[in-house]
Amino acid sequence: MRVLVVEDDADLNRQISTALTDAGYVVDKALDGEEGHYLGESSPYDAVILDLGLPVLDGVSVLEKWRRAGRKMPVLILTARDRWSDKVAGFDAGADDYVTKPFHMEEILARVRALVRRSAGQASSELTCGPVTLDTKGAKVMVNGMGVKLTSLEYRLLEYLMMHMGKVVSRTELVEHLYDQDFDRDSNTVEVFVGRLRKKLGVDVLHTIRGMGYCVQPPGNAD
Amino acid sequence: MRTNSLAFRLTVSAAVTAVVLLIAAVIVLSELFQQTVQRNFDARLRAIMDGLQVNIDLAADGSPRVQGNFADTRFQLQDSGWYWQVAPVVQGGQKPAVSASLLEPPLALPATGLGNRDREGYARFSMSDAAGNQLRGIEQRLKLFGSDAEYSFVVTGNFDELRTEVQAFRRGLYLSLALIGFGLLAAIFFQVRYGLQPMKEMERKLNDIRAGKVEMLEGDFPSEMQPIADELNLLVQSNFEIIDRARMQVGNLAHALKTPISVLTNEARDHRGPLSDKVMEQIGVMREQVNLYLDRARRAARAQTVGSATDVDPVLQALARTLQRINRDRGLEVAVEPGPPLKFRGERQDLEEMVGNLMDNACKWSKSKVTVRARLLPQAGEDGRPWMLIEVDDDGPGLPPEKRAIAMKRGQRLDESKPGSGLGLNIVSETAAMYGGVASLDKADLGGLRAILKLPALAGSAASTI
Repeated sequence: MRVLVVEDDADLNRQISTALTDAGYVVDKALDGEEGHYLGESSPYDAVILDLGLPVLDGVSVLEKWRRAGRKMPVLILTARDRWSDKVAGFDAGADDYVTKPFHMEEILARVRALVRRSAGQASSELTCGPVTLDTKGAKVMVNGMGVKLTSLEYRLLEYLMMHMGKVVSRTELVEHLYDQDFDRDSNTVEVFVGRLRKKLGVDVLHTIRGMGYCVQPPGNAD
Repeated sequence: MRTNSLAFRLTVSAAVTAVVLLIAAVIVLSELFQQTVQRNFDARLRAIMDGLQVNIDLAADGSPRVQGNFADTRFQLQDSGWYWQVAPVVQGGQKPAVSASLLEPPLALPATGLGNRDREGYARFSMSDAAGNQLRGIEQRLKLFGSDAEYSFVVTGNFDELRTEVQAFRRGLYLSLALIGFGLLAAIFFQVRYGLQPMKEMERKLNDIRAGKVEMLEGDFPSEMQPIADELNLLVQSNFEIIDRARMQVGNLAHALKTPISVLTNEARDHRGPLSDKVMEQIGVMREQVNLYLDRARRAARAQTVGSATDVDPVLQALARTLQRINRDRGLEVAVEPGPPLKFRGERQDLEEMVGNLMDNACKWSKSKVTVRARLLPQAGEDGRPWMLIEVDDDGPGLPPEKRAIAMKRGQRLDESKPGSGLGLNIVSETAAMYGGVASLDKADLGGLRAILKLPALAGSAASTI
């Protein structure tokens, strides 16, 4: 999952980014509205955390520009002002949720998790695909009720595919959502990780669609 | 009238000036009158003197002798004060000629007064006779035909008669000037009142500004005061601006503090220990302070706004849209029931905060539906102005009647499990009270709680737009 954090306070930006990274997200940072707007418009994100009081270009304007350009990623607004008029302005500009400062980091994580899940069309925080269950809250994966130990990257890979269950996800899309920007996109590590993940899960849910990408489906549903 | 006042200064200075001038007028006028009367008197004496000199000749022994009756009867009445006398200057046994009125001749002339003679040789003098009459007389020395000796011609008149005349004049003068004085004092008093009227007016208007009834000094002031009124208006305006700026800065500062508070909270939570516990505790204090000052800034901003009006329906629609979005995971329906277009007599932000908090609260408790409607009360309030009701209904569990009153109290939370600071309802109640309105709770038709806001509406706001 790739998340963009647009917050002009460097410390707060670092804290949010660290917390998100620790929770298994790939995080891009922007310190002003212009940079944030550029990143949000040019890269695919699964969620954006957007401060409203930004230098250069304010948060509401950034959000409006994204929505006008057809960018549909879920956006969580951070705001110090808790007046209703600010909330109305934020939601009318196209926000999906808001958190008022000061906040607890857990709240941000919970909201981002809910946003990502909702945008993928998943109602529950537990994703199930046949014998495989993925708990997005606890970042745990179970196969037939038994815990499976995954590395952070393997977990992210499985989570992304399970969020988009039944859909074919291209290799490029996976790279964009799972790796930092400086990742060497030509390498074939994705295939290596998919192979390892299949072995660890031990059940047939992760399918390769030749020439197109990967798809998670319950066993037996695959063509 | 206070002693340190313009009215006092003007009245006292004008009164003192008037009194001094009136007294001076009394002195000058009575002196002038006396001089005029004396001149007339002297002229009469001279006329008699002329008659005396025409009718005199000398006897063989050189004694003067008067022939004929040239003067009036007063010169024959004894001790009348009206006397004439002709006597040689250097006594040489000659008998002086005197008027019949002079009983004990010769008239003893005073030594003083005789030295000063005018060009015609007249000396003037005052004296009293044996009968006690105040006399005024003139004396002239001439040589008579047929003699080388000088003779002193004296004519006197009774000055007491004249004094009565002068006194009668003075009484009249005092009386009329006293009347003029009183008239002047009354005029000064009225003039000061009338002249200072615009100052009183300005004072009253400034009071209105301070009470928040008006925002500036309006109306025409006298040309001397208009510049002051203009300057005061600028001052009042800049005062408002300074307060606005200060208020905005307090708000900005409080908001700006929220980010560092977030940073500190997160950092402290990541490194548990005695230091971070202390930091967390102090952060709690800071957070409370920030909220307190934001609350105050908001209240103060409210207290001075005059005459604003807000369309109700757009506010309800925007809040419903936002709350539906916030609660979309729960599939809540937040609906605004159609009603007449109304205007709230107050600030948009206040209406948003009040209705927003009530609707947010309703959303937290509701199972599937929240409705909000606004309507005009059929009867005007005690002040004759219209009022409206805004009702927010939910289909949640509701509250039993005895708990509804508690729910409006400050910081009261009936259920700790739902998020919120617990100040929502109380802030609504206080804000409504600031507009003279009321917030109350009741049972909703949907089965849950109904929150009711009674707020001032703008006159004719419903009728004018239908």
